[in-house]
Amino acid sequence: MTATLTADPGLTASEAAKRNDLASRKPHVAAKLARVAEMEERGEISPIIRLEKSYLCNFQCTHCSAEYYMDRHLEKVFKIKDERQKIDLDDIRRLSKEADELGLARFVITGGEPLVMKDFDAVVEAIDPDRHYVITDTNGWFLDLERARHLKAIGVEKVQLSLDSMIEAEHDKFRNKPGSYKRVMRAIDASLEAGLNLILSTVLVRGRGKSDEFRQMCEFAKSKGIGLYVSYAKPTGSCTDHPEFVIDKEDADVVRELEKSYPVFTHMTPSYGSFKGCITVKGIITVTSTAEITPCPYIDFSLGNLRQNSLKEILDRGMRNPWLGPHRPDCLIGEDPQFIKIHTERTKGATHLPLPWGKGFSDNDSLQDEK
Amino acid sequence: MSTATLAPAAFDEFGRCLPTAVQSPVHRQSRRYFRLGTPAVDPAAILARLGRHLGAGKGLDVNSFTRRIDAIRARLAADPATAGMLNGLAVPFIVPRTPVTEIGTLMEEGYLPAVARSFEEAFPAERFTNHVKLGLAGKLTVQPGSRHERLIEAMGDDEVVGLYFPCLTEYSLPAAVEQIASLPDHLLLAGGFDTAAAFVGVPDLLLRTDGYPPLLWLTGLAGEKPGIGYHFEAYGHDLTFNRRAHLGQTAEYWWSGISVLETR
Repeated sequence: MTATLTADPGLTASEAAKRNDLASRKPHVAAKLARVAEMEERGEISPIIRLEKSYLCNFQCTHCSAEYYMDRHLEKVFKIKDERQKIDLDDIRRLSKEADELGLARFVITGGEPLVMKDFDAVVEAIDPDRHYVITDTNGWFLDLERARHLKAIGVEKVQLSLDSMIEAEHDKFRNKPGSYKRVMRAIDASLEAGLNLILSTVLVRGRGKSDEFRQMCEFAKSKGIGLYVSYAKPTGSCTDHPEFVIDKEDADVVRELEKSYPVFTHMTPSYGSFKGCITVKGIITVTSTAEITPCPYIDFSLGNLRQNSLKEILDRGMRNPWLGPHRPDCLIGEDPQFIKIHTERTKGATHLPLPWGKGFSDNDSLQDEK
Repeated sequence: MSTATLAPAAFDEFGRCLPTAVQSPVHRQSRRYFRLGTPAVDPAAILARLGRHLGAGKGLDVNSFTRRIDAIRARLAADPATAGMLNGLAVPFIVPRTPVTEIGTLMEEGYLPAVARSFEEAFPAERFTNHVKLGLAGKLTVQPGSRHERLIEAMGDDEVVGLYFPCLTEYSLPAAVEQIASLPDHLLLAGGFDTAAAFVGVPDLLLRTDGYPPLLWLTGLAGEKPGIGYHFEAYGHDLTFNRRAHLGQTAEYWWSGISVLETR
């Protein structure tokens, strides 16, 4: 397959250059990405697949959405081990093939901390970088120049690097890891030097958008020429114990205003005229370490298990769910009080997340229930 | 068509048109999660903005404008089938006399710039953005069954005064077309010119700071492909115009409007 070099007049010059570079190196991937807008017009979806193969992590962050999935949490809080079957490389190869057949084009390796995974390279190979655009999340601790060059060499295209404050002490405190801020700064330079696409990722807790520190982070991203992805704090995972972190509409609107002046964006920022709003299923899915598929990283309800259902069947379940399928401009798990209440009540006390299909989400869901 | 042959239209206490005899996707009940704010509907300010930005109503004084609006309201109030519409927001508008040869071009060259001027005059720090970069020329036609052709015909003859009601809440576009067929004959689905004129007069129609407002479709108009529609939508404190696939589906966030024109 050959990819048409892009000449979309709506693209910035740098974005057009990136897309043309990708088309020359990975034509199949570029061609799929170029078809996303057409797919949306036909009512088809092309979600990014977040792959949580392992929850092993060298950090213990205050706001971690994955903490409740981690072995250390199960052992410490519930005194149990997770005996569920874990995904392996064959599962990932099968997922990659199914996703490719549906026109999906993007994988994010996440966790946990992906760069502590001993089989990270094998996971990239199983995804197949010639078939999918591969991104990795990281806290940056292990991302020096040598590692960054290695990631590029094995086919990783982009790094999403977490930075939670421009104030070194605050970042380190939030991440419960002294020295982590300095490692992020090193990782930024290493990623750029290695030719990786890079975005910074930061968590917006209530009120932070108006702070001088947040403005400094926006300035920093602009000065480096890199995007700043803003993730709203959601009332799940470790944040369940911090309801004061959860944002309101004013916080979200502050970020929307900053988008006019800085390369800052959220998962709901319009991109080249495409305004998906909440991207549950439509723009993202998460595959957990037990092969369950959830509609976003912060909703602990499964839509199905890859070992029991096809990817298409699971995506169809999501799209016909009244909470997930329809277009909406706000963040379902971050801003809709009715859904947050349902999620909190159903997950309360659950030892094994996500709740399986039928226990959290089901085909009987209604917007009218449980007001 | 006589309303006596129709089932009484049901509008709830918020002015929502309750779906009756609709087979297409629609939410039978609403949890009212997406809502309009409380924009000021001031006839004097509306008339001034319409004159300044759209060249509409220039021969009208405020008293005449108000009388004409009140006459539309009185007509609706007098009919049990429509009285409930007045429980919700009603935005007065004037569409200037313009023979329409091409809807998309007139929207792009006349009405959307007028919305932009009015919005950015009222909110200098905010932006109106038309995201439809490939243009509207030749892409918009009257939706069959919408009755919207009556506005297009009327504006070719004279300036048109009307009221815009964003009351078809949580309807798919096909459901809105079905519903209008069961409503009194003088109600039409709102399209581009009436909706845009409503925004010129009341630029904060979709401005909300304490929650999210709905998206407003131009349901009286069909897009260039089946399943594609055009709409106004807030983004934070900004206002946007855009197109998207609706594919006949429904969403809490998707609303359509009804226009009622004065009879002279």
